[in-house]
Amino acid sequence: MTGEDVLSKDEGSGLKLESGALELLDLSIGYDEPLITGINMKINPGETIAILGPSGIGKTTLLRTIAGLIVPLSGEVIHDYPKRSGIGYIPQRLGLVKHSSVRSNVAIGARTRKPRWFPAILPLGKEFNLDVDSALLSLGIMEHSENPVRILSGGQQRRVAIARALVQRPKLILADEFLGELDRENVESIIKATKSLISETGATLIMVEHDEERARILADRIWIIQDSKIIEEVAK
Amino acid sequence: MNNKFIITSVILLWLTWSFLDELVEDWGQIESAPERLETFFYEDLWPPDWSVLEPEEWADGSLHKPNGDLCTENFQMFCSKAWTGMMITIKMAFIATLIGFVISVPLASLSANNLVPIPIAIPARVILAGLRSLPSIIWALLFAIALGFGPLPGILAMTLYTIGYLGKLQYESMEGIANAPLESAMAMGLTHSERLVHVVIPEASNDLLSQLMFMFEYNVRHGTVLGLVGAGGIGMYIDNYINPPFAYDKAFALLIVVFVVVVLIDLLSMSIRSFVTEQGDFKRPKWWTVILPAGTAADHYNKSKSKDESE
Repeated sequence: MTGEDVLSKDEGSGLKLESGALELLDLSIGYDEPLITGINMKINPGETIAILGPSGIGKTTLLRTIAGLIVPLSGEVIHDYPKRSGIGYIPQRLGLVKHSSVRSNVAIGARTRKPRWFPAILPLGKEFNLDVDSALLSLGIMEHSENPVRILSGGQQRRVAIARALVQRPKLILADEFLGELDRENVESIIKATKSLISETGATLIMVEHDEERARILADRIWIIQDSKIIEEVAK
Repeated sequence: MNNKFIITSVILLWLTWSFLDELVEDWGQIESAPERLETFFYEDLWPPDWSVLEPEEWADGSLHKPNGDLCTENFQMFCSKAWTGMMITIKMAFIATLIGFVISVPLASLSANNLVPIPIAIPARVILAGLRSLPSIIWALLFAIALGFGPLPGILAMTLYTIGYLGKLQYESMEGIANAPLESAMAMGLTHSERLVHVVIPEASNDLLSQLMFMFEYNVRHGTVLGLVGAGGIGMYIDNYINPPFAYDKAFALLIVVFVVVVLIDLLSMSIRSFVTEQGDFKRPKWWTVILPAGTAADHYNKSKSKDESE
């Protein structure tokens, strides 16, 4: 999706989409068979949405469709986020490069802020390295910066994923059950880190959660998927 | 073991046997094979002639390298055919493997169907298949015709074959990496080259290193064959010894040298790959636990692990 898509859609429907907002218009998603149909949602910039629902109902598919990884069966995902760096995606298994160091993983986020033509083999430069350092420090993983990600605990790996999103500065973060099966202490610190990520970047967050209590702590609105439809609730 | 597995195994075994039976016309030739082999081994090969590890001694008593230069090395072995030939072969294999690797990685990334659309992957695969369809000895023959004898046609032949062979192994490894980091990178808007350098290569690093070291070893081994078409290195000396006047015992000694180098490369590969595998992250069991019953070995492993942790 590009800014041009948004403009043409606005002209077509007569609606004006605020910059940084996300609209799901008559969206049907799935693979061969539709999983969720008739999705019409608008998300304002900086909002946090939690998606709840049983396994296999289409929560991950919805996130992947919004991320542009799957083509919707029908309808449109409308936004004006830049193609590069606009969306941060934290899949269920975090999407980290397990043999690379913590620093290299976080630097991937910073790299998206460089132009597309910037050679992949060149180092990022001082300013970006400082950003990476600051993210590592704020998430308390500086001491592991040179360790490969594979040797970190689940909680530490989640911090790496958040640090990567922090330096990417995306407009939209899609997080798929990234709190996973963490213990209470870890969950609280990750929630704190996530909240600071949202406030620092002003990003919109759409997260899939299986724990309703956690979802209500973090989110402004809750989407419950039931019978192939989305039912919306206010979280707080 | 399920029925499908058993049925498939039986069918494959039956096919193998029927093809073999069709191709081999005279099973009687097996009968005298061990005897003939034993005669050849003891009369021509054994004991290996280790004079290949010494410099050539000329009539005036001076020691020389195989190319005729006077031997001035402190260790005389450095002037021997085995050493100079092996060093040329190793250098040829090193250059060919490295250049081949640098070219094959981007070609492999254009062949992996999880990284590019099929219309791009298929032509890239055709190029790789074309390069490895001709064995390196045929490439060497072509380059020897074009350029004359010496290491250069050997290096070019090895390089082209390396691109084709390594490229195939690499794109299959790239296709096998986890989807999650790749999807994250795509959603973030990373370019193809950024995904290759920062996601695919590190994720497939164990396989890529293993294949690189295997290819280096393959090229060293293959250097012995390329010598047959005048591509230089240790193969050229082996070729001299297996042709009249036959000196199989010297050729055998050179083959043992090649074997030792291959084992050393394998050990080097194990050491290099330990940086990107998880084997360094856990305590290895002792060698003798392999012969213990499973339960006893596990008990011993757990005890020694907790002892180490408490220390």
